[in-house]
This record gives sequence, structure tokens and C-alpha cells, in this order.
Amino acid sequence: MTYAMIIPVFLALALVPATLLVRAPSPAPPGRRAPAVLGLSFAVLAVLTVVFDNLMIAAGFFDYGDGHITELRIGLVPVEDFAYPLAALLLLPALWWGLGERGRLTATVRTLVATSRPVSWVNTAYPFAAAYVMTTGRVDLPLVVGTLFFLFPYNLLMYGINDVFDYESDLLNPRKGGVEGALVDRSEHRMILVGSVLLALPFLAWLFLVGGAAAAWVLVVSLFAVVAYSAKGLRFKEVPFLDSATSATHFVSPAVYGLVLAGADWRLGTVALCAGFFLWSMASQAFGAVQDVQADRDGGLKSIATVLGARPTVWAAAVFYLTAGLLMLLTPWPGPLASLLVLPYLANVAPYLTVTDAGCERANRGWKRFLWLNYVTGFLVTMLLIWSWALAH
Amino acid sequence: MSFLYLGFLLLSLAGMVVLDVRRRLFFAADARRAALVLLVGVLFFLAWDVAGIGLGIFLHSQSRFATGWMVAPQIPVEEVVFLVFLCYLTMNVVRLAEQLLGRRAAVVTPEARREVDAP
Repeated sequence: MTYAMIIPVFLALALVPATLLVRAPSPAPPGRRAPAVLGLSFAVLAVLTVVFDNLMIAAGFFDYGDGHITELRIGLVPVEDFAYPLAALLLLPALWWGLGERGRLTATVRTLVATSRPVSWVNTAYPFAAAYVMTTGRVDLPLVVGTLFFLFPYNLLMYGINDVFDYESDLLNPRKGGVEGALVDRSEHRMILVGSVLLALPFLAWLFLVGGAAAAWVLVVSLFAVVAYSAKGLRFKEVPFLDSATSATHFVSPAVYGLVLAGADWRLGTVALCAGFFLWSMASQAFGAVQDVQADRDGGLKSIATVLGARPTVWAAAVFYLTAGLLMLLTPWPGPLASLLVLPYLANVAPYLTVTDAGCERANRGWKRFLWLNYVTGFLVTMLLIWSWALAH
Repeated sequence: MSFLYLGFLLLSLAGMVVLDVRRRLFFAADARRAALVLLVGVLFFLAWDVAGIGLGIFLHSQSRFATGWMVAPQIPVEEVVFLVFLCYLTMNVVRLAEQLLGRRAAVVTPEARREVDAP
């Protein structure tokens, strides 16, 4: 029955051009004629499949492994064989019609890439790759597939869901249109949601297949955090404290997933490292919410900062950073040096320890500094990782 | 080793090309677009084959009608040609259906309009 689990993955993948590229205006047949064209074509292809595949299986070109298929057959042909013509019909005409509209492909790719926040790709891919490589010490297929997943599809899923459900409040916030977030038109919402799920699906199918039960659970928690943060009905981003914790899960869970997938031992140092990373992320999310206190209150949104107020939130962030630094002291050498890395972050939030709710937008300067500070810190963390790698090998 | 299957596939493929050119369906309609669609289709089905082979679902068997040339483990050259054929066939069939149903719609519409225009 294994094949019954593969077919849906590839059928879903085949639907990518139909969901991403075909929308008005389109050279596809209008109205109900498109389904009629595809239905008629499927009838023709199904008949041909019965004829051809009976011949091919009779001639012994291919067969299926025992126990993988349902054994429902038309002649010699298993019903599973109809998946190929079906997939061809979902994939190829949609691609043909989609590519027929000039600039559609480029515009779609641009929207999806902008939605996924390329600036943030490294924030999720790097923790995964570093955790995995530091544990296994080798480059292999799970590393490549996992890194690719946490680079683009994961971020597209996260920010795509976020942008669609944040549409109304983002409209009220002029800061969200630029480098810190793409503001997408309502007409593209369906394309973004369906597209981000479909693009993530093959990666997830593969990762669930190769990882053990523990890895699968980490991935489930990670995906739940991605959805729960902004999806309607859950909206964890509007629940004070849960917002910071969920956001931290977005960045720490790829690292935890990398460790579990690689089969790491859970020593005190590893736990302290993950906990420290988690607190650092919570601090950063909380500090990031400070600049939006007024905009969020005007838009009727709640966050850790609207509930605590701007100033207490900055203090909370400072305490989280400090605790994260102290946790680094529990990691094996040269890990404790990473404690020093929280000092720039403390210095970054220090000017806002006296911020008022009315003047909250002044924290935006601190947020911009935070964004490039991450690149410097990322570089230094990499140096530490290489150093600890050299000590271990 | 035999060229029977490969020859049969190439003959079928040639049939597709003739149909394409005579009815201006696929490459004859827009060669660049058709090439891209065909390439994506073949790569998509090759990935599917690789997944199926990797999981032990698809079994390639040595056939006395095939050349035995392999492009990759478990993937004979005939499979690649078959996938090109499958994609070409699919697009030809879809484009023919489009022409057929499009023409019917075009025939129906003026009549419908005449009825509306009639006093």
C-alpha cells in the first residue's frame, strides 16, 4: 500500500502550476470549458493507458513490488497506473496556459519570494544546518533537503499565512510594505496559501519518511507553531507571552529538528544551548513588538507589548537576553564565550529602557540595528562553531 | 537486446510530431513554451520514477524487447522516451480537445446571438 501514499504527494505537486500560474487573465478555456477539455482528455488517455500498459506489463517492461499496490487491476493494469495520465493532465495544460500569459511566471515567483522574506531565510536554515552538521559531521541528503526546506518553503508557509491573515492590520501599518514585509493584494491570497502548502508538501513527505518518530513530532510542533502564530481562530501572535514563545519556536525548532534528525545526545550543554537560543528569540520578538504598540492598539491587535506596555516589555526583553547569556555558561568550551554575544543585544535595547507607549515608534531604530546585528552575531557564532568543531575532531 | 520497444516508442513519438505540426497544437503553436512544458513534465515523472524505485514500488525488469541501455540504475532509456511521449501525447490530446470544444462553442454562440437579435 506504500504507493497510495506517494501518489497524493505527486498529484499535489502536479497542481502547483494550476494554483500558482493560472488566474485571470489567462489563455485557458473560459468557464466550464476547461474542466470539459480536461475530462475529455482524461477519457482518451485512460483508454490509451489500458491498452498500452496491458501490452507493456505483458511484455515484462515493468511491474510493481509485492504488497505496494491495491491489486485492483483492469486486465493486467493496476488502477495506480492511471495516476500518471491524471498527473500529466493536472500539470502540463496548466503550465501551458500559465506560461501563455506574459510575465505571469516572473510575477508569481517574485510575489512568493518577497512573501517568504529572503532576509529571514538564513534565520531558519542556518540553525537547522548547523545543528545537523555539528552532530553528524557530514553532508548528506537529509542535510540538503532539510536546509532547502527551512530556507524557502518553511518561510513561505510561515510568512504567507501571516500576511494573508494579517492583511487588515498590515494595511494600517505603513512600515510593513518594505524590507520588513511584503504587502500582497487580496487577489493573491488564495495563490499564496495554496502555493505555500503545495511547495512544502514534497519536502515534508520526504522528511517524515526518513526521520524517526521523535523527529516527526518535532516537525509537527514546528509546523503547528507556524500555523498557530497567525491563522484565524488560533492567532497566538495576539496572546501575550504565547506570541513571543511561538515566534521563538519558529527559529529554535529548526535547530531542535536538526539535532533530533541527526540523533544527537541530549546533554546539559545541548539543552542549555537550545533554551538560551529560545530566550534570545523571545527577547527579540518582544522587543520587535515594542515599536508597534500604538499601531497594534489602533488596529485592535494584542501583543506582549500592548499588554505589558512598551517600557516593561523592553525590560522583559533585557532579562531574557541576560538569562540567555547565563545559560551559555553551561555549554562546553568554547560555548561560554557566546555569553559575550548577548552584550551587544543588551546595549541595543538599553536606550529604550525608558521608552514610553506614545514614543514607542522610536524603538524602530533599535529594531533596524537588531537586524544587522544578527549578521555580525551569526558570523561570530559560526566562528565559535568552527572552533568547537576543531576541538571535537 | 532488441530495438522493438524503443522503435515502437519512437514511431509513436513521430506520430505525435506529425499530429502537432498538422494541427498546430504544441511545438508548432509555441516552440519555446512547449519545450519548457515538456521538460518540466519529463523531470516531474522522472522524479516520480526515482521515488517509486527508491521505495521498491516500481520494479524494472529485463525484457527481451528492450535495448537494456540504462540512463540511471533501474531507469532504461525507453522509460525516458516513454515519458517524453506521454507528455507530448497529453498536450496534443488537450490541445485537440480545446480546438474541438472551442469550435463547438464558436458555432453555438452566433446562433444564440441571432436568436436574441431576432425581432
